[in-house]
Amino acid sequence: MASVEIQNVEKHYGGFHALKDVSLTIDEGEFIVMVGPSGCGKSTLLKTIAGLETVTSGRLQIKGRDVTHMEPGDRGIAMVFQSYALYPHMTVEENMGFGLRMAKRPKAEIDAAVARAAQILRLEEQLQKYPKQLSGGQRQRVAIGRAITRSPDVFLFDEPLSNLDAALRTQMRVELSTLHDRLGSTMIYVTHDQVEAMTMASRIVVLNGGRIEQVGAPLDLYTNPVNLFVAGFLGAPRMNFVAGHVTSASGKAASVTCGDSLKVDFVNLVEAPAVGAAVTVGVRPEKLRIGNQATGPCFPARVRLTEYLGRETIVYADAGALTTSGSDSGTGVFTVQIGDIQPFMPDAPVTIGFDTDAAYLFASDGKTLSAAKPVTKI
Amino acid sequence: MYPRPIPETARSARAAYIALVVGVLILWLLPLVTVMLTSLRSFEEVMAGNYWGWPKSFNFIENYTAVFKQTALARYFINSLIITLPSVVGVLVLATLTGYVLSRHRFAGNRLVFALFVGGNFLPAQIMMIPVRDLMVSLGFYDTYFALIIFHTAFQTGFATLFMRNFIAALPDELFQAARAEGASPWQTLWHVVVPLIRPALAALAILTFTFVWNDYFWAIVLTQSDAVKPVTAGLNNLRGEWVSAWNLVAAATIMVAIPPVAMFFLMQRHFIAGLTMGAVKG
Repeated sequence: MASVEIQNVEKHYGGFHALKDVSLTIDEGEFIVMVGPSGCGKSTLLKTIAGLETVTSGRLQIKGRDVTHMEPGDRGIAMVFQSYALYPHMTVEENMGFGLRMAKRPKAEIDAAVARAAQILRLEEQLQKYPKQLSGGQRQRVAIGRAITRSPDVFLFDEPLSNLDAALRTQMRVELSTLHDRLGSTMIYVTHDQVEAMTMASRIVVLNGGRIEQVGAPLDLYTNPVNLFVAGFLGAPRMNFVAGHVTSASGKAASVTCGDSLKVDFVNLVEAPAVGAAVTVGVRPEKLRIGNQATGPCFPARVRLTEYLGRETIVYADAGALTTSGSDSGTGVFTVQIGDIQPFMPDAPVTIGFDTDAAYLFASDGKTLSAAKPVTKI
Repeated sequence: MYPRPIPETARSARAAYIALVVGVLILWLLPLVTVMLTSLRSFEEVMAGNYWGWPKSFNFIENYTAVFKQTALARYFINSLIITLPSVVGVLVLATLTGYVLSRHRFAGNRLVFALFVGGNFLPAQIMMIPVRDLMVSLGFYDTYFALIIFHTAFQTGFATLFMRNFIAALPDELFQAARAEGASPWQTLWHVVVPLIRPALAALAILTFTFVWNDYFWAIVLTQSDAVKPVTAGLNNLRGEWVSAWNLVAAATIMVAIPPVAMFFLMQRHFIAGLTMGAVKG
């Protein structure tokens, strides 16, 4: 039985169409991460599942029960907020037992549930403290503990780590993954951080403009994005996108020319574009080869900036008239990621190339045209 | 333009400033000090015309016990408490309820209801004098405690609602969403989440309402007649004799009447805690 079933959910806020025909089936015990840029509707979707927002049309089921018109408290969900939302006038213990107290459960049951949650989250020492006496990480653990005590069918997380600093975020990420393994509950997690999405999710849901763009395992989405948006959203540094046009096409093969210096011959396309059509070629930064290792289609460029990150080197290279679009750096330069440390002189001329197999081809409407690539199974 | 400290070197400006502050302070406190001193004078001294000088004798105990023995002040005092305390409680309860609903629940006409509450405050009280008196007469409440309790509760709730609505609206949204997600009913949310967090607002409103109702004179004389119901403000006026007034006793009574609002302030002071919502949300 599906844990959560979302059927054709629509949400309008006045004139704003926040969710457009969203359908999704979530299985028992899955860790679903919803990602997307701000305003894509991911938080709205989560609040709709929680019942904090009503749907304009569509149906929601949790564990086979139709919860579309139920109050949040009756849905079998628990929610963790970005801002923690702890009750400042209650101790940690009272905060964690709040839901059960409101449901008028017996005291012994509340105490047992709080003790269990405190033990899982290592909060035993903090039970008598007030939220203001805790650090950010501890506060968020209390908020998670408050969710655990109610033993919900589904956990909902609304950007729970966004207020924490980078080191703590990594630690909490690991803790949340461990918690998911331990509880085995269904969790739905909203974030704009694609690292959290890649590392925690059993399946990622990419949202854009109120629509689900793609759903799938992290590596599937990373390797085989269905469109340009997903390709650009997952992966840091971002994929390099270069605009081009189709110079010749036959059967499932097509030649694409970008600028004057780059020509890529695609084979095994899903569908061949028309000759002259505007397309976009995409290559991930780690798939670009620089210098002597450059094989396949290649083009000349000059090194603009080099970032030495210790275990890798990121080179920003300017290929003159051949510019990328929508890059992280906000300029038209290419981003090349090298797996070790290699020194580059500023302004040094280099040759950049890549394997055609590693490149993606997107139609003008963003749809992926290149063939699916093999995904490492884990 | 903003207040800037006067530099140490500008001696004349500094001296003028201090003189001005002291002057205003004396002007402000003079009536109060005079009343205090008068409450200590003997009747003969007041009759002799020593209003501003240092008292010739200090009749503290005599005057203050006389106020309670020779006049009905004790009765008025109890009347005032019987009128003021239920009014304050009524206003706080009603304003918390209306403020909570108006700030946290979306419904058609929300703004209209709020506007009515706020707009009511702009009506000058005096134009309602005749209708309110007639209303109380036909309700059978004229010259009873209920007349003043009902009127003050109704009239103060308008401003109190504005105050509460804005205070509750400023509480973090997520607290309410969290309570709702945890299955707390609106009543449970009000009692377990809202009320503990609006303690400073309740304390401030309690003081304001208490002071206003306690000090009210206008409605006290409009809606009451008999000594058995009259609050202290109207009662004070009775202390003036028909032919001759014992001003020393009137002054002592005035001081007694002024004490409760001041006491109220000190009682409520410990509830004015800054940053009550600290730790609720990252902010």
